[in-house]
Amino acid sequence: MKSKNNGKDFCMFALPGMFCFFAVVIIPFVYGVYLTLTDWNGVSKVKNFIGLKNFAGVMRDGQFWTSLLLTFKYVIFVVLIVNVLAFAIAYLLTRGIKGQNFFRAGFFTPNLIGGIVLGYIWQFVFSRVFVSIGESTGWKMFEVSWLSDPTNAFIALVVVSVWQLSGYMILIYVAGFMGLSEDVMEAASIDGASGFVKLKNIIMPLMMSSITICLFLTLSRAFMVYDVNLSLTAGAPYGTTEMAAMHVYEKAFTSRQFGIGQAEAFILFIIVAVISGIQVYLTKKQEVEA
Amino acid sequence: MRKGVMKKVISLGLILVLMSAMLTGCRFGFASDPDDPNEEEKEIPIDTSVDTFEYDSSLSGTNITLLNSKAEIQVALEKMGAEFEKKSGVHVEVMPVTDGDSPYTKVVSLYNSGTPPTASILDTTDVIALAKEKAADLSDESWTKEAEGYLTEVDGKIYSFPLCIEGRGIIYNKAVIEEALGESFEPDSVTTQDEFKELLERLVNAGIEKPVSMAKEDWSLGAHHLQYIYETYEGTSEGAGEVIEKIKAGKLDLESYDRLREFLNMFDILKKYNVAKGDPLGADYDEMAIDLADGKTAFWFNGNWAWPNISEAGAKEEDEYGFLPYFLNNDRNDFVNHQIQASPSKQVMLDGQIASEKEQAAAKEFLNWIVYSEIGQQMLVKTCNIIPPFKNNPYEPSDPLSADIYTKVHEEKAFNASAIVPNDHWAVLGASMQKYLADRSSREELTEDIQKYWDEQE
Repeated sequence: MKSKNNGKDFCMFALPGMFCFFAVVIIPFVYGVYLTLTDWNGVSKVKNFIGLKNFAGVMRDGQFWTSLLLTFKYVIFVVLIVNVLAFAIAYLLTRGIKGQNFFRAGFFTPNLIGGIVLGYIWQFVFSRVFVSIGESTGWKMFEVSWLSDPTNAFIALVVVSVWQLSGYMILIYVAGFMGLSEDVMEAASIDGASGFVKLKNIIMPLMMSSITICLFLTLSRAFMVYDVNLSLTAGAPYGTTEMAAMHVYEKAFTSRQFGIGQAEAFILFIIVAVISGIQVYLTKKQEVEA
Repeated sequence: MRKGVMKKVISLGLILVLMSAMLTGCRFGFASDPDDPNEEEKEIPIDTSVDTFEYDSSLSGTNITLLNSKAEIQVALEKMGAEFEKKSGVHVEVMPVTDGDSPYTKVVSLYNSGTPPTASILDTTDVIALAKEKAADLSDESWTKEAEGYLTEVDGKIYSFPLCIEGRGIIYNKAVIEEALGESFEPDSVTTQDEFKELLERLVNAGIEKPVSMAKEDWSLGAHHLQYIYETYEGTSEGAGEVIEKIKAGKLDLESYDRLREFLNMFDILKKYNVAKGDPLGADYDEMAIDLADGKTAFWFNGNWAWPNISEAGAKEEDEYGFLPYFLNNDRNDFVNHQIQASPSKQVMLDGQIASEKEQAAAKEFLNWIVYSEIGQQMLVKTCNIIPPFKNNPYEPSDPLSADIYTKVHEEKAFNASAIVPNDHWAVLGASMQKYLADRSSREELTEDIQKYWDEQE
């Protein structure tokens, strides 16, 4: 039975939130999709409807597809390394080792530094500190700045992103580990499970909800990377480390092809939405209750 | 017990946050930050006793906004605004374009939010992109007569006020060259590419192993280096436009285009003597200024905007720095071998769409004040340290680089040409130039990239 009060309650509690959500997410999004179908250049008063021409432009924009491919590569590396590393460190930090609270805070700190600042700091490290180390020790790997070689610059990007993201994921995994019921662990031990078997058959399934969250966060963050990309390499050397989000921005604002940029952003959104959707669906299926 | 641990964690976290904040704070102290409190205030006194400018008293009390995309004059502009307000009663609010934001993006977003600045300092390409749709027509302003030759026309009308002249070339440090060679150095004595090469060779023999610095930044390579191929076509902006049209239309074969070949010859020379030859794409901009001031290098390809960096690296205003031309060949009569490029770079555009009549009039008065009032003239040159494009301005800039350009402009040792290229020219072709600089592409590939870029333009 529905109470008479329902409508009023809904208005009181949900409307303000709904309003904000519509104002800053839904309406701009729909408007953005509409813009992909026009020739608006960001300035002019008239917007002519041009159908799917912008999407045809995206197809011709080879650099976009290159940057998208690079983004995929980057996402794979970052997601894998971050999650494996964070899981392992979180595991260690819940074993009661000495000073574990200190380590937890320490690992989390990079995440508190904004991406732009972080990028500049690491730019200094890669192109100045490492090079000086290389000069004084003669180590080949630090001889020239990492940021001046396409492969090394890509590695640098992955390293910095991993360094930044791991802390956050460690926190989530630590919370997950702390939530593991002692009874279950003890029962597993009594049943003779130990080491890897325990990890695989008991801990992993129970940790699945944490893994879902962490995978989702790292996936979406890695796909949308912009700040670290901008401040660390800015696409250098010669545009080889330009990720998709940065390319979209450059297309829209530097090349001033607003419609194409918007269409590329929309395509990027669909890709990220589909992939994270699949990921959440798959990992959710693995989740179990203790 | 547990509470105690929590407390420890929190306090530890706080310490870490504070420490990282301190570290990042330090990092930003290095950069040339106009608001840096540590920076010494070096003020040139402005004589305000004489002012024959006629102010329109009906404009008093008007508020205008000025969007500034030239970060190094932010403080100076605020001072100018304050001085102007004292005299005219018009309040000028100077809004900076923050680092990392492009002036165009900023002004467009302000337009889209319905609050455009009354006046904005923009690059010439931005003005051309916005003029017809947004700008106020300034063709009838009287200062246009004083700035002849430095005006940008869009469809026969003038929509912008040229704020400054900027020039570029090969910056030399005279003291370093003289000390190394043990003789006096006369910049005018170098008149051809071969002579320049010989000078470099002599410097190498005298112990300056790699006498040249060149920035790896795409704006330097893509705009300042590469655009010589358009600007030196005949040394005028019209000529630059003409050659671009020809390339676009496929009427000019880049492979047999002299200026491109000559430009690459010169670029190769700079590349060969580049101090960062081992890792040209790892070159650090700030370090180049230090190298030049310290005498590790003798030349740096850059423009007069590099002075704050060089000065911060230890150079004094009485030191002798100046420009050599970008030598393209061995023909002494070719203008490129005795003239450097210098042309108006930043333009002030007035909003003609949303600003009220009164606001527009106040902004126009501000521009006139800069050109005609004794105070405005002085402040433009002394406070902002700008090379004025106005004939009636009697003041000379004080830093050696601007002073050199000023003299060259007046002695006809400078050519006024600026190529109007699409906005992503520097980024796209800058990347191709980086590739060439790092020896990862050949001349043919670079030429192909340039052709391809122009083919893609509508």
